[in-house]
Parts: sequence; structure tokens; C-alpha cells
Amino acid sequence: MERIVLVGKPNCGKSLLFNQLTGLRQKVANFPGVTVELKTGQFDQFEVVDFPGTYSLHSLSKDEEIAVEKLNLAVDDDDTRLVVCVLDAARLERSLVFALQVQALARKNNKAVVFVLNMIDEVERYGLDIDIKALHKELGAPVYALSAKTLKGVAAFKEALPGLAKQAQAPTELNIQLGEQRKFIERARAINAEYGIRSDVVLKNQNRIDTFLLNNVLGGIAFLAIMFFLFQSIFTWAQPLMDGTEAAIGWIANTLTGMIGPGIVSDFLNDAIFGGVGAFLVFVPQIMVLTLIIGVLEDSGYLARAALICHKPLSLFGLSGRSFIPYLSGHACAIPAIMAARTIESPRKRLITMLTIPLMSCSARLPVYALLIAVLIPKDATFLGVFDLQGAAFFGLYFFGILMALVVSTLMNVFTRKSKELKDMPFILELPSYRLPHWKPLFQRVINSGLQFIKRAAPVIFVISLCLWTLGYFPQGAGLENSLLGKIGHFIEPIFEPLGLDWRYGVAMIMSFLAREVFVGALGTMFGMSGAEENIAGLAAQIQADGLTLGAGIGLLLFYVVALQCVATVAMLRAETGKSRIAWGLYAGYGILAYLIAVIAAHIF
Amino acid sequence: MKTLWELKAKQAAVVETINSQLTGPVISRLQEMGFSEGQQVVCVRRSPFKGPLVVQVGDCVYSLEQAVAEKINLALAS
Repeated sequence: MERIVLVGKPNCGKSLLFNQLTGLRQKVANFPGVTVELKTGQFDQFEVVDFPGTYSLHSLSKDEEIAVEKLNLAVDDDDTRLVVCVLDAARLERSLVFALQVQALARKNNKAVVFVLNMIDEVERYGLDIDIKALHKELGAPVYALSAKTLKGVAAFKEALPGLAKQAQAPTELNIQLGEQRKFIERARAINAEYGIRSDVVLKNQNRIDTFLLNNVLGGIAFLAIMFFLFQSIFTWAQPLMDGTEAAIGWIANTLTGMIGPGIVSDFLNDAIFGGVGAFLVFVPQIMVLTLIIGVLEDSGYLARAALICHKPLSLFGLSGRSFIPYLSGHACAIPAIMAARTIESPRKRLITMLTIPLMSCSARLPVYALLIAVLIPKDATFLGVFDLQGAAFFGLYFFGILMALVVSTLMNVFTRKSKELKDMPFILELPSYRLPHWKPLFQRVINSGLQFIKRAAPVIFVISLCLWTLGYFPQGAGLENSLLGKIGHFIEPIFEPLGLDWRYGVAMIMSFLAREVFVGALGTMFGMSGAEENIAGLAAQIQADGLTLGAGIGLLLFYVVALQCVATVAMLRAETGKSRIAWGLYAGYGILAYLIAVIAAHIF
Repeated sequence: MKTLWELKAKQAAVVETINSQLTGPVISRLQEMGFSEGQQVVCVRRSPFKGPLVVQVGDCVYSLEQAVAEKINLALAS
């Protein structure tokens, strides 16, 4: 298919233009281990490819290198008809540096170029304008002024696009060769001096808002308020959606197994498919809500400010200011948090952030915490006479997770300092103009996050779920205690002995690899209770009567803070880092660490 | 010679050179982002506890941490 390539600097409104051209049907191509995303859509008979926004053809990181390599290939490809360089009309100089480089690249490959002067509405709002005809002559290629947001000029551009792509353009008379880096910078500056608008006019609004949002006191309050809102919304908005999904899956499971009638097939469907694979679908709404909120923050321009505010304190632990949002999101669910780490500029800090996110106490740990705290701590006990001791224990577990994450990231930072592969990028962050987010690209991103999660995690979850079910189900009718899984539990009981736990806990811990909250239901089954998830207090009473020691209980709690008991997170880490070795290594590493901490706790208390 | 890191809030200056302690690709990226010779920079704000500073360079506003900002040498503007 004939192809149109779309390029531009970050924050130039390219994604929105892409959406306006192609509509909502698009495909996203990801590459394992890097953050590069190529979006493809269709316009007329053309395939439109949206390249990631970048400042230069000279790459700094592995991700940029891959993006530039893909761009080189695309421009070289015979099917490519036209390269569209998107410029930010209000920031002509900055966007021209990259656009001129691309123009030179296109000329080398005999490809036609067209410039789009996007966000022309911002220029007009200040009563200014840009001489398009003269700019056309200066650049030696057609220039279209438009606004992808207000749609001004978009229809005319769409109409002209097929013609532009079909007719071979005369090579432009630009005599800068690729590699003559300084000349691109100088030429961009010269063109901007001639045609650009005065920068202080554009930046005035942005700087005015920043005097408030970056103010030492008011900015801090605003930051806390926004983060509190973000955190709350994950629970309050996502909860009904999660409950709805759960109910829907339960209903389908019931209807389907009701039609089949009792037997091995229905047991398999009910427990392995709907119970195992279905349980992870519950997280999809949470992932989408979180992606939506982070998307709003990013598109509005606030994300860059938040990173600026957090940078200094987090840099003490080898992290970036951009690690904050992933860490915060990790308290809801590690998966969207790992995806959010894509915005971190330095590959090394990105990796460290991703590998420590699983230490945040995510919502799947809540049922486990709730059960064990109810077992260990009497309901009306107080701490220092004022604080509810159960509440204080919850807080302590969250705090312990964060503390562990900071310790681990500091250590990882020290050990990877000399790594050549993981280059550290300097913290240079553009503070973009504040803008109202547009729903179209956001909607795309939200849908994609859900699909990506399902695509990446479903196969692994299916396999693990199948294995656990088989082990727990056979020999048929034997019950969990006499099943293969129960036998394995008995066999490996010595491993759990130093923790002060018996085989029943061991089996529940193995089963909870599917997802941490499975621990509660599995332990309930071992204690002869069904539906323990709905009756945590009842199960807690049974465990108390059974005699779980304080040390073993605390050890178990700390084990769940640290251990990476979540197959979906392992699958996600594998996809994002591009290496199974890292993902499974981390699983083993945190498992051993958690085990040691639990052993120590069992002996201290 | 003064570096960008020493610039006080609201102070303006002109970029002179970039310290060659930074790697070649980082230097050229800084130049492409606007920190090229003769370009005017204005410090928009300083953050407490030696946090990143905010500068306006041409048509963009950037935030830079100390490690980078002290590698950009300036000539004070009149």
C-alpha cells in the first residue's frame, strides 16, 4: 500500500493530526524492550504511519536509535510517497531543527515533503500570522497552516494530500547535507527570525500558570491535591467497573456450566478458565482508568511539572522525577504502573523503576493483608492510645513496601552505574504549554492499554492457571489435601518450616502465584471453607483457633509485601524489558528476599 | 566564566559553550534543543534544595538538573 509518513517534535500536536486523518481505527506496533510505538492508520488509499515525537535524527538512547532506524527505513521504502513534517506554529525554531533534518533525509531518498504548520489557532489568538507563501518559497516545499484541534484548515489539507502524495516533487534547493548539524540549527534560527512569532507572547500564559503550579508552597499543595485525586479515583471509579466485570464473568461462568451440567468439563471451565483467566480480566478496568488519568495529566502538560517537582528527592535513590507517577500507580496495580514508566527519559532509571514497582502494595494484596491483620491484631487494639492498631499495621505494610523499593533501587543504581548498555540520559525536560486534552488520542490510548495487557498477559496466565488447576484437581474427587498439589505441599513442607507455617499455607502460597488475592480463597479451601473471599472474618477466626503464631503471621505478611506473586506482572515485565531473564530473575530474587525476611520475622517475634 | 546553574531567577544571559565533559551526542542534543552559541537564555525559576532549574530558551521552556546545567557556559547579557 502507498504510504504517508508523519513526523514532528514532541508536543507539536502530531498525534491529534494523525487521529483527524485516520479516524479511530488504528494499529499500534510495539517493539519488545523499547518504548517505541509506531501507529498506523488509513487515509484514503494510503497507509499513514505516525512516528514518535523526537528532537533530532541523532539518537541519544536505544529507543531513539530504533525510532530513527525505522524512520530511515520508512523514508527509503519504495511504497512511501510523502513525508509530512508537522511543525508547532508557535515554536517554529524548535520544530524546524528536526523537520529540516527530515527534509534532508527525504531529499536523499528522493521523497516528497510537505510541512504542516499545526496549532495555527494559537498564533491567531494573539492576533499574529505567518506568511505561508513566503515560507513555502523559503522551505522549498508546500506549507499548510492548520489546527488539528479546531479543525481549521484540516479539510483543505485532507483534500490536497492525495495530490501531494501522487505527484513527484521537484527536489528542493536546500543545500544542507545530513550530518552538517550546525547548519540545520542556524537555518532554523534564521527562518524563525524571519517568519516566526515572538516567543515571549506564546510563553506568557504558560509561565503565568507555572508561577502558581511550580510555586514552592502553592505548587506543593496543588501537587498533593492532584496526586490525592489520582489515587482516590483509581479506587472509586475503577471499583464499580471491576465489580461489574467480576459479576459479568461470574454470570457467564454460571450460565455456561449450568448448560453443561456437573462434571470435569464444567469444573475445568469454572475453576481454570473463569476462575483463573477470568480473575485477571478484573484488572482491565483499573488499568484503563489509570491510563486515562495519566493520559490527561500528560496531555494537559502537568506530568512534566510533576516530574520536575519530584526529581530532586527521587534522584537521591537513583530514580528520575518521572518515576513518581509509576510508583504512585503501583499502589493500585503494577501493570499500568510499568506501562507508565515508559515516559522515563533515562533507560537505566526506567529499568530500575520498572523493577521496583512490584514492591508497592497493590490492591491485590489488600485481601491478604486484611485477612492476616484480622488474625494477628485484636479489633479494638490501639497504637499509642490513639491510632487504631489494625489501621496502623496497614500503613506500616505500605510504608515497608516503599522503603524496600527505595533500598532496592539505590542498590540497583550502584550496581548498574558502569553498565554501557543502560545509558543514563541527562534530565532535560521540556515544559510544554498547558492544553486541554483532546478525547480522541486519549480514547485510543485507553483502549490500547487494555488490549495490550490482555494480549501480553493472557497466554502466560492461561498456562499457569491450567497447570495449577490440573495439579489441584487430580486425582479426581480426592479434594485439595489429597490432590497432586496437596502432595507437593506435603513434600515441600520443610521449606515452610523455618517460616513457622505448615503445608496448607505452602499450597495457598503456591496457588497465589496466579494473583496474590487467590491466597485467601485457597487458604479457605484448606480450612474447609468455601467462599472465604466473602467471609474474611470467619476465616480469620478459624486460623486463630488453629493457632498461627505471631512471628509466622508477621513473616507471612512481610512475605506478601516483597514477593512478586503475580504472573501478570512477570508477563508484563518480560514484554517491557524484552528479556525473560530479567522478569523471571526478578521473580526468583524477590521470592528469596521475601522468604529470608519472613524467616527473620518468624524468629524475632 | 559563569554556568547556567549559577543563574538566578529572572536573570538573562547568552550561551557561550558547552563543557566537553558531556558526551558528543548529549552536546549536540542540547544544541538542537536551543542551547547553541549566541542563544539567549532566561532563568524562569529556581527550585528549592538544588532541584532542577527552569529556563526559557528561545521558544521553549526546559527544566534541567544541576549535572547538565553546570556544563553550559554563559556570557552575561547586557
